[in-house]
Amino acid sequence: MLDLLPHILNGLTLGLLFALIALGFTLIVGVMEVINLAHGSLFALGAYFALSLIGGTWFGDTAFAAWWLSLAIETRYVAALLLGPVLAAVAGMILELCLRPTYGKAPLYGLLLTFGAALVIEEIIRLGWGTGEQNLAVPVAINGPILVAGFIYSKYKFFAAGFSLVAIFAVWLFLEKTPYGTIIKAGAHDSEMVRALGYDLSKLRLLVFGFGAALAGLAGIIMVPIWGLRPHVGIDVVIPAFLIIVIGGIGSFWGAVIAALMVGLAVGITGAYAGAWATMSMYILLILVVGLRSRGLFGRKSALEN
Amino acid sequence: MISLSDIPSRSPAQAYGAIVLLALALATAPWWLPMVGLYQYLGIEIAIWMIFALGFNLLFGYAGLHSFGHGAYLGIGAYAFGLFQQNVALSLWGGLAAGILAAGVAGAVVGAFISHRRGIYYALLTIAFGQVFWFTSMKLYGITGGEDGLLGIPRPPLSLPGIEFDLRPNVALFYLVAILLVASVLVLWRLANSPFGRVLQAIRQNETRARFAGYEVWRFKLAAFVISAMFAGLAGGLFSMAQQSAYPDVMSLHQSGLIVMMVLVGGGLVSFWGPVLGVILYFVARDVLGGFTETWLLWYGLMFMAMVMLRPEGLAGMFHLGWKRLRGTRDHASALAAEKA
Repeated sequence: MLDLLPHILNGLTLGLLFALIALGFTLIVGVMEVINLAHGSLFALGAYFALSLIGGTWFGDTAFAAWWLSLAIETRYVAALLLGPVLAAVAGMILELCLRPTYGKAPLYGLLLTFGAALVIEEIIRLGWGTGEQNLAVPVAINGPILVAGFIYSKYKFFAAGFSLVAIFAVWLFLEKTPYGTIIKAGAHDSEMVRALGYDLSKLRLLVFGFGAALAGLAGIIMVPIWGLRPHVGIDVVIPAFLIIVIGGIGSFWGAVIAALMVGLAVGITGAYAGAWATMSMYILLILVVGLRSRGLFGRKSALEN
Repeated sequence: MISLSDIPSRSPAQAYGAIVLLALALATAPWWLPMVGLYQYLGIEIAIWMIFALGFNLLFGYAGLHSFGHGAYLGIGAYAFGLFQQNVALSLWGGLAAGILAAGVAGAVVGAFISHRRGIYYALLTIAFGQVFWFTSMKLYGITGGEDGLLGIPRPPLSLPGIEFDLRPNVALFYLVAILLVASVLVLWRLANSPFGRVLQAIRQNETRARFAGYEVWRFKLAAFVISAMFAGLAGGLFSMAQQSAYPDVMSLHQSGLIVMMVLVGGGLVSFWGPVLGVILYFVARDVLGGFTETWLLWYGLMFMAMVMLRPEGLAGMFHLGWKRLRGTRDHASALAAEKA
């Protein structure tokens, strides 16, 4: 059992990271009943924006660029952490505008449109940032090894897991304790009634999509130092995200978090015994869970079943 | 928005006309392909993908079951063909039968699991199973050759009683694929317009009502899945012959997404022939646009997005509506003339 402990710890940190990725995805699915297959691409886009912001490549040879690069890496990193998601949100809002003709039709069309968008965003990334693997620089304070109970861990992993934990609770507080969260949840529950009460539904959808995209971009900036940055990272990421949503049950916030931890644990523990098959364990988990409970752990009936 | 059921089923004579037209175009392809600046191998690829797409559309367009993991069955067919040649016997028919059978069995296992699901859950489970197969093909080094795949798959000769054709030249292989394509079209056309096909369409329109009408819906869903997987297996076997290799990329999510895009753009949701148009458009776009710009996939993706937003009934639907409008104005004019007289 004690041998297993580091793997369990590893799995739980991985699970928290998965939860961060799934957060924006579940928000969009819950409110808009759109499976956003471009979620992973927005994740990648956020990370690439951060890469350009930290590297200062957008500012050319101007005096501003020189001043920007003279700033400490910590400052630039924090700036990227704030601005990257905003830019991803803008991309997400553009996508939402494209999605409008598909509302009221079968959910397939939203799925197809976002699939096309994923392809387009990936190609745009190839054009803008090249096809090779790139590294996102992180401040020294959160980088390097750390010794915990006799095992060496990467400090950054703990930072990322802690950051995810904070982000999860922040989003939960936002959804549960603010009037905006109430409107969003009401929109997910009964959009007609929300409209009847005088809220602008299309503005709500635009903002929710932007918020979900910002969370995707944020997850990208946090995850990429661990997973590496390449144009098709979006596809690698969207798959675990949607597995988690389906396991947790579509539209359930805590279902997604619990599912993410389960997937993380499954991957971590499988990784300990059969490293090559670690990724496979999440598909097996999905097939088991959905085989037993057709709507996932905490799913409710939704329009997506029609 | 129109759907498959809005286009009245044609009399068999008209459909056979279209099939004869396709057969003629295929038979003469080795002459006209080079003339329009294309090459023989492209013809093979297009014909193989047409088999795949037409089989897929029985599930996607007719039954309305959205599989996003169908590349897996193409890949299983390809691997089964290659493994049969390398481990059992050098035989064309044996290899193709192995491909069809392996994909059919895999499809039956997956289908049995997912046929009680509907809507987006169905689609998501097909993705998950597709990824399982893809992942397995990468990790079972001993059998599948890992990420490199199976290399050096031969093109066994076509032996009929008395004669033997060498399939190594591309033209010969093209004719084999073309004949199998026409055979597939005939089988699928019969299936789609049989009572079985009608039930599939009823399931697409309203699954609950179809069940209340007394049909055991999940059996039909399972059958549609297995049949489309078998056609994918046939296409996969031919693909491994054409490529002379089988590799995990054939099974990737990317391929599974491509087939959905092709079928939708072509108009598989509204017409039996939609997938054929979609496959042609994709490969011509790849070769023609690809000749001008490295980023052709970006343009194809944008076109796909525009299509989903504005014209989800695809090319076939646009042709159909255009034809109806044309005929509508003519009918209108003759009606006016009749009124005057």
